[in-house]
Order: sequence, then structure tokens, then C-alpha cells
Amino acid sequence: MKILLKLIVFIVPTSFIFMFFMLLTNDKSYPGADYTSFKLPSFKLENLENLDTISNDVLEGDFILNVWASWCITCIIEHPYLMSLTKNGIPVVGLNYKDDRDDAIIWLDKYGNPYNLILHDYKGTFALDLGVTGAPETFLINDGKVVAHYQGEVNEIIWQDVFLPVIKEMEMF
Amino acid sequence: MIIEISHFLSVLATGLFFLAGSFSLFTKNTLYISNLISRTYSHGFLLLLTSFSIYIWLAISDNFSVQYIASHSNTELPTFYKISSIWSAHEGSMFLWIVFLSLWGFFFNISVKNDQILKSKSIGVISVILVGFLLFLLVTSNPFITILPIAPLNGADINPVLQDPALAIHPPTLYLGYVGFVIPFACAISFLLIGDSNIKWELLVRKWSIAAWAFLTIGITLGSWWAYYELGWGGYWFWDPVENIALMPWLAATAFIHSLSVSIKSSHLRIWTILLSISVFSLSLFGAFIVRSGIIDSVHSFANDPDRGLYLLGFISIIVFTSIYLFIFRLPTIKESKRIKKFSKESFISINNIFFGTLIFSVMLGVTYPLIYEFLFDQKISVGAPFYNAIFIPIVVLASFFLFFSVDSKWSRKINFKFFKTPIFLSLFFSIITVIYISDRFNSNNLAILISIFAGTIIIFRYIYELLDSLLNKKYINPFSVIAHMALGLLLVSISFNSLLSTERAINIKINEYEEYKGLNIYFDDIRVLKNSNNDSIKATFFIEDAKGKQFNLSPEKRRYFTRGQITTETAIHIMPLKDIYMTIGDQLDDGSWIVNIQINYLIRFIWFSAALMAFAGIMLIFSNRRA
Repeated sequence: MKILLKLIVFIVPTSFIFMFFMLLTNDKSYPGADYTSFKLPSFKLENLENLDTISNDVLEGDFILNVWASWCITCIIEHPYLMSLTKNGIPVVGLNYKDDRDDAIIWLDKYGNPYNLILHDYKGTFALDLGVTGAPETFLINDGKVVAHYQGEVNEIIWQDVFLPVIKEMEMF
Repeated sequence: MIIEISHFLSVLATGLFFLAGSFSLFTKNTLYISNLISRTYSHGFLLLLTSFSIYIWLAISDNFSVQYIASHSNTELPTFYKISSIWSAHEGSMFLWIVFLSLWGFFFNISVKNDQILKSKSIGVISVILVGFLLFLLVTSNPFITILPIAPLNGADINPVLQDPALAIHPPTLYLGYVGFVIPFACAISFLLIGDSNIKWELLVRKWSIAAWAFLTIGITLGSWWAYYELGWGGYWFWDPVENIALMPWLAATAFIHSLSVSIKSSHLRIWTILLSISVFSLSLFGAFIVRSGIIDSVHSFANDPDRGLYLLGFISIIVFTSIYLFIFRLPTIKESKRIKKFSKESFISINNIFFGTLIFSVMLGVTYPLIYEFLFDQKISVGAPFYNAIFIPIVVLASFFLFFSVDSKWSRKINFKFFKTPIFLSLFFSIITVIYISDRFNSNNLAILISIFAGTIIIFRYIYELLDSLLNKKYINPFSVIAHMALGLLLVSISFNSLLSTERAINIKINEYEEYKGLNIYFDDIRVLKNSNNDSIKATFFIEDAKGKQFNLSPEKRRYFTRGQITTETAIHIMPLKDIYMTIGDQLDDGSWIVNIQINYLIRFIWFSAALMAFAGIMLIFSNRRA
């Protein structure tokens, strides 16, 4: 009986601690993350706010390209984090995806605008070229090249684990 | 400059605790050495307290050259929240946690005489734990880091959901509970270290354990209340991972204080008591690990950093394995009375230990199963209320029946079981009547709920009989036990009624429209946008008239805070003696109507009241003159 007691009090904590150790040291891999690098496809879209035509040559340097829409619930959850990125001086370009212009503008008025510039992709053609499957999705662009892509909500954890390593490696921003 | 003094004092305190720990564990504790250890510890504590006081003063005086204060406080905040901003994130709350740990040790140090054989070793154990956590604070999560040369002018802001009085006191109370169990833990360890089975360590820790238990109870209750009205969760318990993590030490502590009383009275269950004292503190540490390593996502998680997790895991493993090694090593020498008489109080409490052990194990399984699953299959799942309900309802009901029959039991004496003794018969009779009435009145045949109500009412009626008996026939009762257990009965009844009667519905309503829900006539009067000092808000006003013609207003609100862009819901609650009308406002729809969520929560205040009553019974016991 006492042997059993000894075994239990030893084995139970050991297995828990072993598991926590493995979990903590486990390299996190995110199913939504993709590091395939490709050139930003060429496009010609309207600026959501002032209807100017924008093409590849306007977008220079390093920036974040965030696919969003007013119908997208996750985008509302993601929104505060994008605001904080902009506040920290990281250029965020929005790609308004399959969305009505008026709805999009109402949405921005309601929640605030985190974007330096917004492309209006009503038909979703540019998004198709990029390989977007839905909203929200986020691309990291380095000198006209996509270097990281994440499907789903970007938050502090995703930023730290998915984007920041690439940003540090390429010395961006 | 001042922050460096605070930093330096903390480092110095670490050094003194290190000295106290080494003296205690590696020298022969003569009276001279014991005095030395006691004084070294007290000085260490005073240094740490001064360091923390300086830190509070820096927070009050908006010293934003301190990085932590700059990123969690703001010039606009009232002083109260400037102070509470200290424990609104990882570094500061860890600091507070450690100060509280040393505070318990300090009170223990000044109230126990130096010639008490367990004292020096216990202070040593506490010191070693303090050194480990202070190093963790200073090395991996230093709150003293400065931003120099240019300090920001205003500071960021405290997380808006934390700007609330309940939350400002919820973490400190909870921490006081968690770390309070360091006293029984340290005494159990020093008992094992000394290895003399004749020492009565249990008696020494009785009141300390109950004090810590009371704080833990109040802390959990405050957390539950806060989630209800500030987070807008609309209920009292959600089986959120971090709620469970607080529940496990509470369950272990409850089992521990029961088991402790047996060990004090009759030297039974001593092994159980030692194991439970180690479990309670280990589970408290486990909670700190889970919350601070970011291994589980929850409202409570702090920003995560794997190094912190690894350090904590390493240190906690050292504590746990040292304790287990000592326990196994001393197991043969622990003398306890073996035979427990059937139907004696001891026998009921040992059964209680098994019930609580099962509950703890189930919660542990519920908390860690998603982690195990993630580890093995790399997918996230969550374990929710159905799992816990399926386990808690039968075990708690069964435990209540045992409690019911145990009221008659005596220490170390077998009692004759007559099922038709007056008190048992009367309480069963009244309970059955009550349950039948409830089933009929509310037209319910939900067996789980009716049985839970029955379990609660038999306890309440049984103890009411006991109270009357003591008033009329001067029969001796233990008032603390009576209050705490009646509170348990009340808790069961109110939880059951809450799930039986509470309803909620989301309605779409336009301005100047009427809507009818459960006899409530709801009129949407007005909605307007307000500009507050640190947020924009949408505030709606509803006029409500209930079936009896009583009228009141409810004004739910939705706020967007400037500094973090965070959106929070401010609930509107109308409190009535037996129920709450609870309202939150959602989004506006295309046709101009608003989604409004309305809940009628029955007896929810009684749930918190009964938890508070349990804690109150514990506090009364501490201030009473009874020895055990």
C-alpha cells in the first residue's frame, strides 16, 4: 500500500512537469502561417477614400498588407491590434476585400482607421492573385516582395511568433 | 534615482532571505541561531516592504521613468487606480505576490516564539522560496527597469476592464490566499526535515491555514462578481481555465483544513494532512505557473515569455520534488493512529478527503486535457461546463448526503445509526416537501437540479434543527462549522435555483419601441454618444416596467478607450432581492435597430453571499479563543 502511495505521489507530478516542459520548449508552428516568398502581383485599384488609382509603383518600401472587410467579424477583434501597430509607426496598408465602399467607410468611422492607405478590391481580383482565401489575412511585404503571410487574426502572439522573426532577420522597418 | 533605491533594497532583501535560509537549513538550530534567523528574516521583510512602498509612491507620483509604471499607468487616473495599476500586469503583480508571501512569513515570525521547535526551519523554508521567486522577479521580469534619458509625459493606460474597484482588490485578496498556504507548507516541510513524529505541527498551523482559506474564498468570490458585472459574462462561474486554477487550491485547502482538524483531535489522517498541505501550496504555485507562462489562453494570461515559464517550471519542480522526496523518505516514521472507527467524525472526514481528491483530480484533468491534446495532436480543444457539471453534480450531492449524516457523528466514537432519529427524519421530511413544492410551483422535472436543491435543503434544515436544539436545550454546537456548512447548503440551493430559473434573450429593438420579455415591459428611450475623459461611449437608456408596475431605468453602455482602442461593455443591472435584471448592448443592425441582451438572473447575489458567509465563518474562528 505504501509503495503504491509512493509511486503515485512521485509519478503524477513528474508526468505533469515533463509535459509542461515539452509544451514550453515546443517550437510553435502555426497552421495559418506561410513563408513562401513571391513578388507582389501587379494591380490597379482605387483608393477607398478618394478614388485615386493606385498601382504597384505607389507602394514602396516595407509594409503590412491587411485584408479586411466590414462584413468580417474577426476583423473587429483584430482591429485594436492593427491600431497599435500603426501607433508604433509600422505602415499598414488595407485591402478592402469584396466590400461595399459605403459599408467600409461606416465601419472605419465606427471603429477608427488603422490604415495608412486602403485599396478597394471590390471584385477580389488582386486578392485572388495574392492567394487570399478570406478575411482577415495579413501579408508582410519587403521591397515589393511578399515574405510572410498569415491567415486569421493577427494579435500580439502571432505578431511575435510569425512576423517578428522575419522582420528581425531582414532588418525591416 | 529613487527607483534604483527601491531596486537595491529588493536585491538586499534577497540577500538577507538567502542568509536566513542557509542558517536555518544548514546549521544546528540553537536558540542563538534561531534568534539570528528570526531577526535576519524580519530585516529582509522590512527592506522588501520599504522597496515596495517606494514603488507604490513612484506610481502615485507618476514617475514615468520607470518603464513598467509608464506602460501601465496614466496621469489621468485617480490615485486608487494608480496604485492598482501596479498589479495590472505580470511584473508588478509578481512583486506584490512576493511581498505578500514575505508578509505571511513575517506575521508567522513575530507571533511564534523562537523556542518553538519548528519555527526556525519553517522560516528557513519560507526564505528559500522567497529567494527563488525574488530571483525570478529580478532576472526574468524586472519591474525596476527605467526608460532613460527621456521619460514619456503621460504614460500608457491601465487596461480599462481593470479600472474597477472589485478588480483592484480581487488580485491582492486572491494572492493573500494563495501564498498564505506557505505557512502550513513550510511547517509540514520542517516537520518532515526534523523527522520527529511527536511534534504536533498541525496545531501550529490551524489558524494560519483557515486565514489563508478565508482570503482565497473571498478572492475567488470577488473574481466571480467582477466577471459578472464588468466583463459582461452574465453569470457567476464559467469554468475558465484560470478560474479552475484558483478552484483547485481552494478544494485542496478545504479538504486540508478538515483533515487537519482530525489530525489535531486524534492523530488520524496525518499522512493525508501532510500530503494535502504540500498539494495546496503546489497547486497555488501551479496556478502562478499556468497564468504567467502563457501556456493557456484566458482572460487572465499575461503577455507570455517562454523563459519565464521555464524558470518557474524549474523552480516549482525543485520545490515539489524536494517535498515529495522528503515525504517518501519520512513516510515510515510518521506515526498515526491507524484504525478509524466506523461512523465516527474521522471516518466521515476521511471520506470527504476522497471526494475532494476526486474533484481536484477532475479539475486538473479538465485543465490539462487540452494541453495534453495539443501536445499530442497539435490541435486546440477546450473542455467546458458539460464535463465539469457531469463530475461536480454527483460528487457534490453525494458529499452533501455524507455531510448530512455526519452532523450526528462524534470524535473517535462509533454512533448508532438510526435513520428515523428525529432530526434526520424531520429534515428529510421538510426537504422532500420543499422539493415537491418547487417541482410543482416551477413545473420542473429536471432531476439533477431537484436533487441538488434537495442536497442543499437537507443540510440547511439539519443545521437549523441543530441551532434550535442549542438554543432551547443548551446543546453544544461548533458555531463556525454550523455557519460554514449552512452557507454550503445555501450555495447549493442558490446555484440550483439560478440554473433552474435564469433566462436570457437577445432582442432587436429600435428607439421609441416597446418590447415584452418575461412580464417586463421594455421601452427603448434614448441612445447617445458620450465623450468621456479617456473613452468614447454609446449609452442607451431603457425604461422598464415589471409585472407589478414597478418602474426603473437601465443604461447599458459600450465604451471604446482611446489609448488602447479597446472596446468594453458596461452592463446595466437592476438588483432586486431575489433576482437581477441584467442588460448589455450589442451592435446596431442595418435597419437601425439595436441588439440588446437581457438576462434575468435568479439568486445570483445569494451565491456570492453564501461564499462570503463561509469565509466569514473562517474569520470568526480565527478571532475566537477556541484552540482548535
